[in-house]
Amino acid sequence: MLVLPKLQLEDVFACAQCGYCMKRCPVHYFLGWESESPRGKVFAIKELIKNDGRVDEKRIHRLGRLLSKRFFNCTFCGLCREVCHVEIDLLELWSRVREMLYDHGFVPENVVRLSEALRLSKNIYMMDNASRTDWVAYTGADVSFKDSAEVVYFVGCVTSFSGRVQTVAQAISSILNSANEDWTLLKDEWCCGHPLVLSGATREARALAMHNVEMVESIGAKKVVTGCPGCYLALKHEYPRLLGRKPGFEVLHSSQLLDVYMASGKLTVPKADVTLTYHDPCELGRISGVIREPRAVLQTIADALVEPEYSGKESICCGSGGLLKAVNPSLAESLARRRYGMLASTGADVIVSACPTCVQTLAQAATATQNGKRVVDISELVAEQIGLI
Amino acid sequence: MAIPNDFLNVLINKLGEEHVSVDPLEKLVYAHDLAALPKSVKLLFDTTPDAIVRPESAEHVAEVIRLANEYKIPVIPRGGATWGFGGTVPVRGGVVLDLTGLNRIVHLDEEHGLLTVECGIVWEDIMRFLQKTCWELPVYPSSALSSTVGGWAATGGIGYGSLKHGPFIKNVVKATAVLPDGRAVMLDDNSDPSLSQLFGSEGILCVFTDLTLKLVPKSEAERPFMASFSSLANALMAAQEVLRLTSPHSLVLRTFGFTRTKDYVNPDAYFFGCFTGYKHAVDKYYLTLEEVVNRYRGYLAPEDEAGREWEERFYTLRVKKWGPSILGNEFIIPVPKILDMVGYCWQLGSLARLDVEVEVMFVSRDRALMFQLFLCDERKSIRYLTEAAITKKVLEAAIKAGGKPYGYGLWNFPFMEAAEPEKKRELESLKRALDPQGVLNPGKTIGAELALGLPLPGRLYGMLMDGVWFLRKVV
Ligand SMILES: Cc1cc2nc3c(=O)[nH]c(=O)nc-3n(C[C@H](O)[C@H](O)[C@H](O)COP(=O)(O)OP(=O)(O)OC[C@H]3O[C@@H](n4cnc5c(N)ncnc54)[C@H](O)[C@@H]3O)c2cc1C
Repeated sequence: MLVLPKLQLEDVFACAQCGYCMKRCPVHYFLGWESESPRGKVFAIKELIKNDGRVDEKRIHRLGRLLSKRFFNCTFCGLCREVCHVEIDLLELWSRVREMLYDHGFVPENVVRLSEALRLSKNIYMMDNASRTDWVAYTGADVSFKDSAEVVYFVGCVTSFSGRVQTVAQAISSILNSANEDWTLLKDEWCCGHPLVLSGATREARALAMHNVEMVESIGAKKVVTGCPGCYLALKHEYPRLLGRKPGFEVLHSSQLLDVYMASGKLTVPKADVTLTYHDPCELGRISGVIREPRAVLQTIADALVEPEYSGKESICCGSGGLLKAVNPSLAESLARRRYGMLASTGADVIVSACPTCVQTLAQAATATQNGKRVVDISELVAEQIGLI
Repeated sequence: MAIPNDFLNVLINKLGEEHVSVDPLEKLVYAHDLAALPKSVKLLFDTTPDAIVRPESAEHVAEVIRLANEYKIPVIPRGGATWGFGGTVPVRGGVVLDLTGLNRIVHLDEEHGLLTVECGIVWEDIMRFLQKTCWELPVYPSSALSSTVGGWAATGGIGYGSLKHGPFIKNVVKATAVLPDGRAVMLDDNSDPSLSQLFGSEGILCVFTDLTLKLVPKSEAERPFMASFSSLANALMAAQEVLRLTSPHSLVLRTFGFTRTKDYVNPDAYFFGCFTGYKHAVDKYYLTLEEVVNRYRGYLAPEDEAGREWEERFYTLRVKKWGPSILGNEFIIPVPKILDMVGYCWQLGSLARLDVEVEVMFVSRDRALMFQLFLCDERKSIRYLTEAAITKKVLEAAIKAGGKPYGYGLWNFPFMEAAEPEKKRELESLKRALDPQGVLNPGKTIGAELALGLPLPGRLYGMLMDGVWFLRKVV
């Protein structure tokens, strides 16, 4: 029986029901019903718990399936938290509720399958984890697997396995090489565990976190670099909580690394005659606060950088977060098309993001339109411009 | 009440399945508005809707209302559900009509500065749309980030900009509405019923489906201001002086509690607002303001701080974080009575051991909208109920002082007789003429109904609240 922690309990009652979150929620934008809005969900929780935070088991069993549908129709983009009148940590609340639904067996089938896949294969695609580094051969990247190094490049499941964005791994590898970094890949990288946290299977995510941290620490690396905002969020913010200690390394997103390299002159990138627009990945920008760095990089290498409608902390989700793609692919697609439309209407030549999943999602939306624009990851763009890939 | 399957089937046939919901979770979340209902009150009313409809067009709205008439099913119009007087809460089930899907911008008359929008559009979307034009909204509520245009037309219509441009009704030229018999009508000054007769009727006489708003040319300059004072009296006198000597777009005065999150030099009371218009006029007003603030020994905040406060103007409920609940009421009050009213609120607060806080939004030099609130905890049911009685006491005092409630809905309906008897007669006779079956938002504004359609006389309600206030002593 889950007891909502004191802080969340107070938050649920403090919700002003003002609806500012509802107006911004990208899922509610398409579905419209109150129960699909953050405000509606908070109200539903309030009706499902007793005053001391204990769950009303009878109600949960009656409404569990309906709740699950609503709480998994969410991209975890965090915009609701950003605009909240009374500063409720809504992402934290959503996580607790997904945990509760998971514990009660009320999670969508695809989510069950995903967590099963992760338990067995340590990656989200249910592939043999030994093939995780096949991208090296496909792309011809120059990488190494060392026993000790200063930097670990944590590739992540999507970049490792998904053909369209394996070039992101190639680009980041080539940039690390070009900056003469003492770096390595992990010999046995496991999924970062973020998808399990999103599934509500937090306990199971701990095993993955433990493995990855042990691997990095055994190499003695001081820094872990990743190009995936989901992995970044997990390694930097979720691991300390999951493990109850701060891992002994710093975590950097590739866009931060590029910013440091370019500002220090370690990397010189020629300016291109191109107009760019940038899509902030929710987990990187709004949630982790990495907003300045990718812009600094892009402003240096492009003729012009135009901001789309809703950017920075206000950025609108591309639809690929929160496991929405697994749970409700058609809704995820609608979100992607909407976001792509906003980016394309800036008139920029190229759409850039700093997330392989966003890139993949927006690129798919682009192909569904006439004269779809090119969508690339920031590291691909930089590596291309220096002539590394 | 249970609605007949027949009704539901026809509804689904006419509108399409995607517009109608009877999902139990959906019903749960449509059974309330901004205010937390004490559990005991929930026993009196049947607040759970039997179905929720999300129309896509004015034709859909008319269809729902026609059918509801045929089957005598209550229809409860709902915009952003940000009004705290129970206007969107069913009292004996029925159909909640969620109007937020009617959210299109219909037409901008660039030449004359007229904008036609559907009723469910949220103010913020209009503001975003107007950014690309040379026009702006003259008035909007401080809930502009989620409330709808139709919701404001149905309620008070006083907000930011009202000081300079008047209430919302002065800024609407015409509207289209569906009457309780399902007829769609155009409303303006000359129509019968007229726009002003139905304006502010709290969803009991019509459903507005679109409105044509007056716009104003974008201001050349905008200069927010903020000043804090070591006494409320000084703040109030300074504010009145500013009103006498200048013409602000808005001026809002608040007591300390609203500043809980902030660290001001003079924490007792502060006011903030904005001058808009031609640059030379705005700058002149600002100089006058500086002089007035000095005269009343206030502290004029640096302009960047004032700018941040102005940006924060939509976040008036931040203080709820510390509640976790709040209770309050709103009323229009003559400016000379403000100080007495605040004093009375504080007196009641000290009796009940509560910090009662006040926000005053000036509507003109002699009238203001006063919002009184205090923090409480809805989980402590009996105490919460006794505290709710404070809001009634405050309202009674406001009426005695020549004020009137800023909205009636479900909670303030017993006060209309004392505050606005003529308006009540007019609404009653319009209700009889337009909605003889009582389908549109029954049990609100001019009279309440309990779960089974039993009437709840205002006097009985008043006695109950007095009893509850008395109970406070026992508790
Ligand atoms: C933070 C905050 C700030 C606020 N500031 C202000 C303010 O500055 N000024 C102010 O006046 N109020 C304010 N309010 C109260 C409220 O937001 C306004 O009254 C708002 O206009 C209500 O709009 P809504 O769309 O939320 O209406 P709802 O709450 O959905 O409905 C209100 C009433 O109108 C009826 N209704 C709704 N839509 C229609 C329609 N299309 N046709 C007919 N009837 C309809 C409903 O039945 C109900 O009785 C504030 C509220 C909050 C939470």
